[in-house]
Amino acid sequence: MRLLPPAWAAALAVATLAPRAAAQDPRLARLDPGARASVVALLDSARTAGLPAEPLMQRALEGATKGAPPERVVAAVRRLAVDLGSARDALGPKASAPELEAGAAALRAGVPPAILTRLHTARRPPLTVPLAVLADLVAGGVPVDSAGAAILTLARTTGDADLVEFRRAVERDIALGAPPAAAAAVRLSSITQGADRGANPSQQPRRP
Amino acid sequence: MTARRPRWAALRGAVYAVVAARALSAQVAGTADLGVSTVRYDGFLPAGAASLSSAFVLKRPRSTLSARGGYLVFESGNTSMHAGLAGSAFTHATGRWRGEFWATAGGSRYADFASFWHALGGVRVHFLAGRGSVWIDGSAGRTSFGRAPRPAAAVAAGLWTRRDSATLTLSTSRTRVGDTVYSDVGALARGRRGRLELEGALAARLWSRGGGRGVFGEASAVFDLSERAALVLAGGRYPTDPIRGSISGRYFTAGLRLRSLLARRPASPPAPVPVHAAGGSYSSSSDERAAAWLEIHPESDGVVRFVILAPQATSVELAGDFTDWRPVALRRVDSSRWEALLPIARGVHRINARLGGGPWIVPVGATRTADDYGGETGMFVVP
Repeated sequence: MRLLPPAWAAALAVATLAPRAAAQDPRLARLDPGARASVVALLDSARTAGLPAEPLMQRALEGATKGAPPERVVAAVRRLAVDLGSARDALGPKASAPELEAGAAALRAGVPPAILTRLHTARRPPLTVPLAVLADLVAGGVPVDSAGAAILTLARTTGDADLVEFRRAVERDIALGAPPAAAAAVRLSSITQGADRGANPSQQPRRP
Repeated sequence: MTARRPRWAALRGAVYAVVAARALSAQVAGTADLGVSTVRYDGFLPAGAASLSSAFVLKRPRSTLSARGGYLVFESGNTSMHAGLAGSAFTHATGRWRGEFWATAGGSRYADFASFWHALGGVRVHFLAGRGSVWIDGSAGRTSFGRAPRPAAAVAAGLWTRRDSATLTLSTSRTRVGDTVYSDVGALARGRRGRLELEGALAARLWSRGGGRGVFGEASAVFDLSERAALVLAGGRYPTDPIRGSISGRYFTAGLRLRSLLARRPASPPAPVPVHAAGGSYSSSSDERAAAWLEIHPESDGVVRFVILAPQATSVELAGDFTDWRPVALRRVDSSRWEALLPIARGVHRINARLGGGPWIVPVGATRTADDYGGETGMFVVP
């Protein structure tokens, strides 16, 4: 079970014991009454901890739309809050809300925090797209080591649009039957070799 | 780093197959093929390659053991090697029925990628009839690329018949590798006239989830120059093989085959070695998911055009963290195309779709991930 960072755990505890009056977002009315108070407490504690509350709200609304039981909604929101806190620990206090959300998705997919930290040092912000592509690759079946190595390699030199194109190319290869790790390696090699040629490699096939 | 060792290994294998094979027994045959090829793997430019492959077959009345290996050098300097071992043993015939147990294992490696291996075992039941037989087959095992082994299983059925010097085989199979599933049908014809042996194969992958689709065909001609040497021409297009690790491609090969005097039947024509091991995992989770294909087109000013292709749907809705998870109905554009324009921020997003008021699904085109609520949600990136 994932451990809460001390500061974040303290904030959660305070919020759980004495939920403050969160801004009464009308969207909360869509939540089951059994989940509403706990979600409000979690939103409050997130704000207290300087974490973005909107992703937590969205996670709660997702549960409401899917008819999830209240306790499951609360657990999902709490889990995301922990991931957002871990993402901030890895990415630094200046990370933006979209970066934290993408970082949390990457952590949830199985990416270790150390890779997020290395990405933070390897590329200037915003890191939203590299993090999102990393999360997407891992969720799509690319082993964490391969996906992390690929994104860290590309992060220094490749723009956001090319990162997304890289992800699409990997996805196409996987859909054609290539193993995810091999698809990522081939496309990464294609890009790095193409960069040496000064071409846009993601759109140019290469020789085997 | 590893180029020299595989080369020597392959050379040793070839020499062993041709020279040492004769010394073992009259039931042993060996071949070695030296060839040049042009290959075009899907997604790659065409490339020339030089190949060296060898095969070693030991046949007994009720069992067969074979070993094959190959080494390929592309014009880019990249190298590929593969090796495999296969064996089968027949039971005694019971009336017209006969059983067969078989097993195969092998591996391949391309450039400095992680290596690929597979190990499978199976049972085949033959019903002998006149000039041929009908068979059914079931197999299971493991296949792996790098450190990610996946279960593999297949069921197959087929028949073969012989007319004079020609053999015709028809087969169909359904294979599952991890969550990749595909069904193949195929026909293989082989015949010999004098010094010329011809073989042709036609196959189709009609249904596939992650294994690619298409119609494929290969042909080969082996012309005997002498008892020990033959010219080999082969070419065609073959499908992705997620079990043994090859991605689909086209090839043409011309080569010289050397064989032991006791070889009764030449080995299969040299096929291009895979660029990398196959075995895709991208797949849909249900028929509903397969019925909805998502396209995401970023427009200007932070607006994204969502397109869902769902020919069978009477209505299409989507919901995600960009709609506050409120279902949004898409507008029907034509008989299969549904669209909506929605503002959406950069980053990673979650989405589900619903067809005809049914369950929430993850459309093809979004990455599936667990949704914390016992189901799945789709993930996509807006740059």
